[in-house]
Amino acid sequence: MRSHPYLRAYMAGVLLPSWLLLIGLGIFTLGRVTQHVPAGLERVIIFPMAVVPNVWGLWNLLYVSLHLSERVSIGVFGALLPLVLVPAGIALSFALDLRFYVLWDALIVLPFVIVIYYLAWKYGVAFFNRIVELS
Amino acid sequence: MNDDERELDDIGLQLRSAMPPSQDRELKTDLWPRMLRRMEEAPVRFGWFESVVLALTLMTFAVFPELIPVLLYHL
Repeated sequence: MRSHPYLRAYMAGVLLPSWLLLIGLGIFTLGRVTQHVPAGLERVIIFPMAVVPNVWGLWNLLYVSLHLSERVSIGVFGALLPLVLVPAGIALSFALDLRFYVLWDALIVLPFVIVIYYLAWKYGVAFFNRIVELS
Repeated sequence: MNDDERELDDIGLQLRSAMPPSQDRELKTDLWPRMLRRMEEAPVRFGWFESVVLALTLMTFAVFPELIPVLLYHL
């Protein structure tokens, strides 16, 4: 399996956030049914559904195509991704008028997102890259 | 058959002659055992640093559960 390395890199990057999205969607649906979560909150799902998995895929593609594995650990490279995604998430939340998420929340949660991304990339994405024979 | 149909037929013929159908479409080997082998080759090992960092993060979200939706928003 030596052909299409960029496609494999993209798919290996997309996989983990796609699974996490299913869990998030499950929690959200359960919340709608049991806790009467207000309607209109569906707009929240746009960012994790449309943006996050694609950016993960492209980030992994970047890591593979630039041969960064020789210089940077994949965990550290993945930990840099929230520095792009969190501002993008804030921008989209402002654009969609999502009141649950403000700049202050983003600043508080950013270090923890970085930690989780570090672990997810070091163990999750790196594992999928090995499976598709990219490393 | 009008001119347009004749032209389309001609293009179809030329395309088919330019790209002959592949005779050997089946995979030579089963890829599943190969994938299982790769999964066994490199088992995931969690270091002490990762364990401590993850524990601290989980504790933070246990103390401040209102941050969980903001976290999920980025996953």
